[in-house]
Amino acid sequence: MTREPILSAKDIEIEFTLRGKVLKAIRRCSIDLYEGETLAIVGESGSGKSVFTKSFMGMLDANGRITGGSIMYEGVDISKYKTEKEWLGIRGKKISMVMQDPMTSLNPLKKIGKQIQESIELNQGIHGEEAKRLAIDMMGRVGIIDPERRANQYPHEFSGGMRQRVVIAIACACKPHILICDEPTTALDVTIQAQILDLIRGLQRDLKMTVIYITHDLGVVANVADRVAVMYAGQIVEYGTAEEIFYYPWHPYTWALLSALPQLGVKGQPLPTIDGTPPNLFNEVKGDAFAPRNKQALAIDFEEEPPFFRVSDTHQAKTWYLDPRAPKVEHPAAILQLREKMKKGR
Amino acid sequence: MLKYTIKRLLQSLITILVVVTAVFLMMRMLPTDYYFTEEQVMKMTDEQKHDQLEAAGLLDPIPTQLVRFYGDLFRLNFGDSRRISVGVPVIKVISQRFTISMKLGCISLVFSLAIGVAIGILQARNKDRLLDHVGTAYTIFVNAVPSLVSYSLVLVFGARVLGLPSLYSSRNPTKGSILPIVCLALASIAHYALWTRRYMVDEMNKDYIKLARVKGMASKDIMTRHVLKNAFVPLVQYIPASFLLTIGGSLLVERFFSVPGMGPLLTDAINRYDTNVVQTCVLIYASLGIIGVFLGDVLMMLVDPRIKLTGGGSTR
Repeated sequence: MTREPILSAKDIEIEFTLRGKVLKAIRRCSIDLYEGETLAIVGESGSGKSVFTKSFMGMLDANGRITGGSIMYEGVDISKYKTEKEWLGIRGKKISMVMQDPMTSLNPLKKIGKQIQESIELNQGIHGEEAKRLAIDMMGRVGIIDPERRANQYPHEFSGGMRQRVVIAIACACKPHILICDEPTTALDVTIQAQILDLIRGLQRDLKMTVIYITHDLGVVANVADRVAVMYAGQIVEYGTAEEIFYYPWHPYTWALLSALPQLGVKGQPLPTIDGTPPNLFNEVKGDAFAPRNKQALAIDFEEEPPFFRVSDTHQAKTWYLDPRAPKVEHPAAILQLREKMKKGR
Repeated sequence: MLKYTIKRLLQSLITILVVVTAVFLMMRMLPTDYYFTEEQVMKMTDEQKHDQLEAAGLLDPIPTQLVRFYGDLFRLNFGDSRRISVGVPVIKVISQRFTISMKLGCISLVFSLAIGVAIGILQARNKDRLLDHVGTAYTIFVNAVPSLVSYSLVLVFGARVLGLPSLYSSRNPTKGSILPIVCLALASIAHYALWTRRYMVDEMNKDYIKLARVKGMASKDIMTRHVLKNAFVPLVQYIPASFLLTIGGSLLVERFFSVPGMGPLLTDAINRYDTNVVQTCVLIYASLGIIGVFLGDVLMMLVDPRIKLTGGGSTR
């Protein structure tokens, strides 16, 4: 089955200028997004997950810019957008975002209802009482009890989980096409996390949204994602369906990431970690960026950057291991163990 | 909220009372000769002085005097000036000067608020660009250069170039007030610009601004609807205090331009040991300062819904 992507980022390069030095945060990164799917982008802090998706909405910080590639959305290359006016046609209406920290994401001096109403007024051309009614309606939809009364309260009168519901209500008030959730549950209590994920899933179904999750919580990924993209050092190194990534991963970084899952830990033994640190993106990266941390790296990993190799129709990995000329590499024990465990869990 | 306001008001009154009492007691430690002018001291015999002091109740035990003093305060009777202008009620001495200071202060405050906040907004909107740097340079200049130097610059420029009178005179108060007002405003413009810019930049970097952008709000609207309003909240707290303190007159500016305002009065009164004038001046300054802070807190409470200062009663 071939589907047309609704958003297609190709060879995106993003640079930041920091104190006169140039940092290449995203190095030729591509992803296709399909209608109605849930895509999870995983990777460690600083791998560029947030920056990459922020570029879909023109939300890069002032010192950052897209220096190459294209983002095709509805037939237009939005990466070439320069003015705020152009972006205003996308933000909120077409693509929206839920941010990590609900405690700081709301204006402390504005009533909750008013903040949701603002979003509706901005994007739907509805004003006054009508917009207010829609805002209250939206609050009910995200599971806020007694929305009429709560709409007149201020953010400090809401708990963290409730605030995140409000943030989601604001982001979804205009029924966006694509919703980017940037670590939506990281700042929340574990018991609340599942509720918020359920809420997003429900809204996704009702509003027919396509959702991108940015997270480093593989538990969340297993819970919600149809497809997973693994990011390392400003590049996507592997992507596939959630099943493919969890059961048959190919990139050594994905292996390392999965091996570090606490679920695989043995009581009394320290959890496995990934040695070393990610490369400094101020410098040019040579070969496979993960090679210096990979104990089984091949000689060519240090010399030449691997291309994407196809594993299946939906699964590709950027590693020389998949080259026909490469020596046969076995999946690490931890991955096999994970596969067993997950299969048993089914 | 009302309960808190009343509580704070009472606290303020007590503070003022303590200050006034302390000053009163210290003034009583002066030798009694200071209740007379130099001339009177020379001419009068000890007996005459004693009689006069006794008649004025100044030889009574301190607690008695204190109680009487409180009673007078309550009736707003501040006594007569004894040395600066003999026999004239203190209230009269002060009120003349107070009106002058208040006029200058109010005008300069209105100007500095308007100009200072405007500069601050411009700076914040053009952060790290030329306009911002110019504003910062001004702020630093005004704060770093001793005020007398910048006053002198204003004086030289105003008097030489614009031909404005360099000294205040009661015959031509309008023209003579211009330079003192400019000097008064100089520092407070810098002050308001600095804080407006700072609080606006603070707000601009907050997450909720990002969410406002994400939901498709134009930066112009974000500035007016979110940033400016929120930046004003911390600023609002200082406005009453600075307003009242400007009314109180500035010692330096008024001395510099010989404005017969409140500023020089207190130092004069202290220099010349005019007890009643000192007491009343201290009372006024203390009240202005304390009421200013009090009003600031009340205002803050009105504009910021997070502040419910009584504690308890909040819903979660």
